[in-house]
Amino acid sequence: MLTLLEQLDKGTLWKIPGGIHPPEMKSLSNASSIARLPLFDEYLLPLPQVGEQASLAVSVGEQVLKGQSLTRGAGHSYLPVHAPTSGTVIAIEPRPSNHASALPVLTLVLKSDGKDDWCTLEGANSDGANTKSVSSEGVNAEKVDIASLSRELILSRIQQAGIAGMGGAAFPSHIKLSPASEIELVIVNGVECEPYITADDRLMREHADDIIAGLEIIHKLLAPKRLIIAIEDNKPAAAEAMGAALNRSHLPAGTARVTQIPTKYPSGGEKQLIQIITGKEVPSGAIPAQLGIVVHNVGTLFAIRDAVVFGKPLIERVVTVTGNTVSKPGNYWVPIGTRVTDVLTYCDFQSEPSQKIIMGGPMMGYALPESKVPILKGSNCILVPASDEIGEMPAEKPCIRCGECAVACPASLLPQQLFWHAKAEEYDKAESYNLKDCIECGCCSYVCPSDIPLVEYYRVAKAAIRHDAEEKRKAERAKVRFEARIARLEEEKNAREAKAREAAEKRKASMVGNEKDAIAAALARVQAKKAAKDDGAVSGVAADGAGAGASVGLSAAVSAGVNNTAATPADAATTAADPKAGVAAAIARAKAKKAAAQAEAGESSAQDQASTDMAAERSTEARADVNPEPSAAQDPKKAAIAAAVARAKAKKAAAQGLSSASDAQTSDAPAIDQAIETGAEDSASNNSDENNANAAATVTPEGKEDPKKAAIAAAVARAKAKKAAKAAQNDGVDAPAADTQDNADAAEKNVTDIAESAGTDGAESAGTDAKASETLTPADAKKAAVAAAVAKAKAKKAAQAQAQASNLQQAEDNEHSSSQRDAQLAQSDNAAEAADVSEIADIDVSNVSNVPDAADGAVAENAAPQADQAQDAEQDSKKARIATAVAKAKAKKAAREQE
Amino acid sequence: MAFRISSSPHVRKDTATQAVMQKVILAALPGLAVQCYFFGWGSFIQVLLAIAVALGAEAAVLKLRGRTIKETLNDQSAILTALLIGVALPPLAPWYLVVIGTIFAIVIVKQLYGGLGQNLFNPAMAAYVLLLVSFPVLMTTWAAPLGLGADNAGFVDALKVIFSGVGAPAFALGIDGVSMATPLDTLKTDLSMGLTATESLQKPIFGGSSTGEGWVWVNLAYLAGGIYLLASKTIRWHISTGLLGALFVCSLVGFALSPDTHASPLFNLFSGATMLAAFFIATDPVTAATSRRGRLLFGALIGVLIYVIRTFGGYPDGVAFAVLLANLCAPLIDYYIKPRAYGHRGHS
Amino acid sequence: MSGIMIAVILLGLLALVFGAILGFAAVKFKVEGNPLADQVEALLPQTQCGQCGYPGCRPYAEAIVGGDKVNKCPPGGVATMEKIAELMGVEPEPLSATTEQQVKKVAYIREDECIGCTKCIQACPVDAIVGAGKLMHTVIAQDCTGCDLCVEPCPVDCIDMIPVTQDLRSWNWKLSAIPVTQLEEEKPC
Repeated sequence: MLTLLEQLDKGTLWKIPGGIHPPEMKSLSNASSIARLPLFDEYLLPLPQVGEQASLAVSVGEQVLKGQSLTRGAGHSYLPVHAPTSGTVIAIEPRPSNHASALPVLTLVLKSDGKDDWCTLEGANSDGANTKSVSSEGVNAEKVDIASLSRELILSRIQQAGIAGMGGAAFPSHIKLSPASEIELVIVNGVECEPYITADDRLMREHADDIIAGLEIIHKLLAPKRLIIAIEDNKPAAAEAMGAALNRSHLPAGTARVTQIPTKYPSGGEKQLIQIITGKEVPSGAIPAQLGIVVHNVGTLFAIRDAVVFGKPLIERVVTVTGNTVSKPGNYWVPIGTRVTDVLTYCDFQSEPSQKIIMGGPMMGYALPESKVPILKGSNCILVPASDEIGEMPAEKPCIRCGECAVACPASLLPQQLFWHAKAEEYDKAESYNLKDCIECGCCSYVCPSDIPLVEYYRVAKAAIRHDAEEKRKAERAKVRFEARIARLEEEKNAREAKAREAAEKRKASMVGNEKDAIAAALARVQAKKAAKDDGAVSGVAADGAGAGASVGLSAAVSAGVNNTAATPADAATTAADPKAGVAAAIARAKAKKAAAQAEAGESSAQDQASTDMAAERSTEARADVNPEPSAAQDPKKAAIAAAVARAKAKKAAAQGLSSASDAQTSDAPAIDQAIETGAEDSASNNSDENNANAAATVTPEGKEDPKKAAIAAAVARAKAKKAAKAAQNDGVDAPAADTQDNADAAEKNVTDIAESAGTDGAESAGTDAKASETLTPADAKKAAVAAAVAKAKAKKAAQAQAQASNLQQAEDNEHSSSQRDAQLAQSDNAAEAADVSEIADIDVSNVSNVPDAADGAVAENAAPQADQAQDAEQDSKKARIATAVAKAKAKKAAREQE
Repeated sequence: MAFRISSSPHVRKDTATQAVMQKVILAALPGLAVQCYFFGWGSFIQVLLAIAVALGAEAAVLKLRGRTIKETLNDQSAILTALLIGVALPPLAPWYLVVIGTIFAIVIVKQLYGGLGQNLFNPAMAAYVLLLVSFPVLMTTWAAPLGLGADNAGFVDALKVIFSGVGAPAFALGIDGVSMATPLDTLKTDLSMGLTATESLQKPIFGGSSTGEGWVWVNLAYLAGGIYLLASKTIRWHISTGLLGALFVCSLVGFALSPDTHASPLFNLFSGATMLAAFFIATDPVTAATSRRGRLLFGALIGVLIYVIRTFGGYPDGVAFAVLLANLCAPLIDYYIKPRAYGHRGHS
Repeated sequence: MSGIMIAVILLGLLALVFGAILGFAAVKFKVEGNPLADQVEALLPQTQCGQCGYPGCRPYAEAIVGGDKVNKCPPGGVATMEKIAELMGVEPEPLSATTEQQVKKVAYIREDECIGCTKCIQACPVDAIVGAGKLMHTVIAQDCTGCDLCVEPCPVDCIDMIPVTQDLRSWNWKLSAIPVTQLEEEKPC
């Protein structure tokens, strides 16, 4: 048993299954030597990697030199695109691609200046850089000594030269040349088995030494045990030239040889060539490197040598132009990016009716729907056959299962089974017949007596399978993400509940020590309830959503000495914005003061605790909401937005401060320590918040100068207004809860007055905020757009308000039922729970369907016309809001009366 | 400037279904000629009649199905089917046999399954089996070979016999020596009557050649046609080789074990429709297995079945049944025998 | 009489034995979850769009198994509906919603109009929108299922559903679908 190396040295060849012998038609183009084309006007350079691994290095209008890199990038598979000649970039836009679909791709359009000036080439001598054709002057130039270059340098030069496989697949060569595993065998593919094409044949005949120089570079890079140059036996001249060049080379004796293989299509396929030379098969789905084999095209070797020795990028290649409709068939050095139509015109192309332009050979090439497409690195042939040469495809006839396709298939597939399944779109079955191993060589279609375009069916099937797999993957991903989201929401909910529970436990713990107080409180509450009933009308109005602004106002009033540092800026802002609001605030303050004084008397510690906890909870929640996501951090407008966030926080903190402040003022002896603690904490946080608020204030005016910033500021303001409205609703729910408690504890109906004024104030300040956002915009360039947005936002808000109005009723109901229970149980902490319940009910906005509750029937009816009105009043959003507020208030009142 | 687009490959080998069919028909002509030489003009008339009926029936069905008639008839597959029915029927069988058989083959077995390429069973053989079970006596009465009975029926006589039945008695069963059972039938009858194979082979029908007078020449003619088909790569060798090889091996084993009750391998290979089946019937690609190994197995299955039916079955020749049974197995064979695709060595 | 008794006792015993076997089997071979629902879910496109009236694909899959109609999934299109109908052994029905949804789309946020309200982020069932309060949001096109759910909540209507275009990699190789462009006004080649 001979080892593989011995067999390689002997030149043993293996047989591949299948294969065909189509007419070669090579004599049409292989007689003359490779010619040069004149400079054309326009070159098209597709930029497939731009937007992924690469970015543009030039812009429209820029002058570029020949060989200059037009893209920048760093990725492993990045390949730069170079200018094929000097000139001006006149456009970078989608243009039809050199592809069977001609779908447009991003293309750089280069207008030649006719000078063809080289840029300075890195690593090349000056002669090389100034010579118009480095490739043709061969050994005369001062070569860079390959031996002196490091492996990394060679690889980076190959990458920087943008060298991709020139056999057709255009796979980046530097990746193939830096394999993960050891390479034992390098096969040089000079087979060129496709009919008509002679580009590699001519290149081998004319530039054998340069190709071998490229092979030496590969030998240095990979250090394989053997290098085999495979050439089909219908190209004896090329084989001879390569053999002679090999003898002149510096490659170690016995490592490299030229092997002639029998002419048969598709011997030049990578997998088939490996099978012929070594008898091994590349496992399905694997790459040859896993067998320790790499295959390189002769054209690639030539380009590698140019790149490494001269630093010359891959900007031109040999293209066979052939077919009976050109009068000058032959091989040409065509700059990459030359338009196919220019090449054809130069070769005196006489178009026939329903002409076909085939990129590549007749077996695997694709017909171009459009001729103004560029030559690519993998384009080896333009075939323009006359109609008597390659005619119209005959119509497809039924398959008679003759099995000729299976005989011809070089991959030993069953093409007819694939065809049945592909045609019936049973792609899973087609896959089970190894559709993915089809190399689309076209042998099956070639031999088919029924003229079935088998390869087309396979391509469609493959594309569909790819598409399905992609869809499947996406669906799977969507599912995972959806489930992750559900889990996250669940977790957040649990966390919230856990916190609520914790708070409740804390309350309970403190309750144990104050049982007496609790009983007193309960008694007080019963009284309060009576009072509240009498005072139904007032408290109904009080139920109106109290805005954060209102709380601020209230806090300013109540805690004038203690905590007004936090409150004042916000308050002042409100006042400045709207005198009316200011007046309202003043009234509120006055009322609040009165209320506070009276409340002082009978505040129980338990209630204090409850409200403090609640406020704390709310503020944490709010903070969590506002917390920007990490991705946002990069935004330059971060500062302004952060400031806005801070402002919101300040407000919340102020609200918090209100409750704690009142605690501090009114608390009984047992709770006093705790209250002081909270107060201290609050004031600390308020101080920091105040700073933030100030920062916000300074940022906002700045924003005005910049139209964009102003727009954002406006948007921020709008959002703020919205939030205020929302907060108003939240507070509206919370406030009544507090009301009930206050009533119970203090038996003071004046407290409802506070709440009332707070509500008014809230509505006012919410409006003011909205107005402020409007006043910000006039100077703005984008005013119109933003105004529209504002209007839209307002309209939406109005609609929302309607929904929430009814929602509020529900919350109210819940609350009342629980407060009743409270009275019976004489447990003050239940009131806090009730507040929680109502809060949750409010959060559950999506639960709108529950609104027309039986108990609320009358109320809902009452509110509905109002809400309708609100909807209609799109132009006057303020009116609408007030109307809704009134509706809400009425609803609440009704609810209370019902109770 | 709009250019024509089409999928690769852009060149096609110059073969067409029509050409394939033509070659097969051409290759069958020597066999037909020899058959006519030994058994009179009957076969020729049957073939012509079958072709006419087949084309008519196919055209009618295509019209009903709303398909293009001319293009489909052009593929000549109907003619080939008709030819095979024609040569398989007894030369002097009445006209309605061939008409029924052909219509059945074309309309039911082929077109109702979806036309060319879609039929599960070999149409000619399905028709043959239908006729065999429907008209057993008529189907097993073969014309006497040349030199054994009276003079061969002339063209006009044959026409008369086939279309009017007039003169049929004159050419009727064995005693008159014009029409008689085939050698296979004779051997089977004799063996069942207790005679040894050697004794049976002494009978005049075997003509001393121990394969049957005339039949050996018919088979040789079909073999020649088959070799032409192989040489022109119209058919591949797998099915034919499988069939003949299996038949040979089976009959060799039988003959070696019991020469008295089994015919020799040569007798089996060169009598009846063996060669016709091996090169013209079993090789119908539509109803055969598709992979190379599958086809070898498919052929071998037919060979074994032919031998089993000839030796143990109730019918003298088992080609038709064997082919139909193998047709049934073809999808199964295709399912289990797939060629190992490139790159799937060692795994899967 | 005794015959009847024997029959009754025997049958009773048999019933007991079989009951025990059934009970044992019910415990021993209990299948967790609903495998049919899993299969149906695997066929659904996982857009989580809720157009079927259920909050996500899984609930709809369970509803189908529970006897709901198979034609409520517009993103899946006719193909999905037919597959589900086949799996469930019911007659395929025409899609309930309009068939215009057949084209795959992804959401796109016009970023200079976005006010950063985070409403779309909350609406997105697959968390395919990134952004934070007051910051511009953007859609991760790769993860977008084209469910439309973010379009409605946007207060400034800055979200568009854009059909996914074919590129060279996703081209379906249907040659007959290439529009033949006539460029006669330019000089013929």
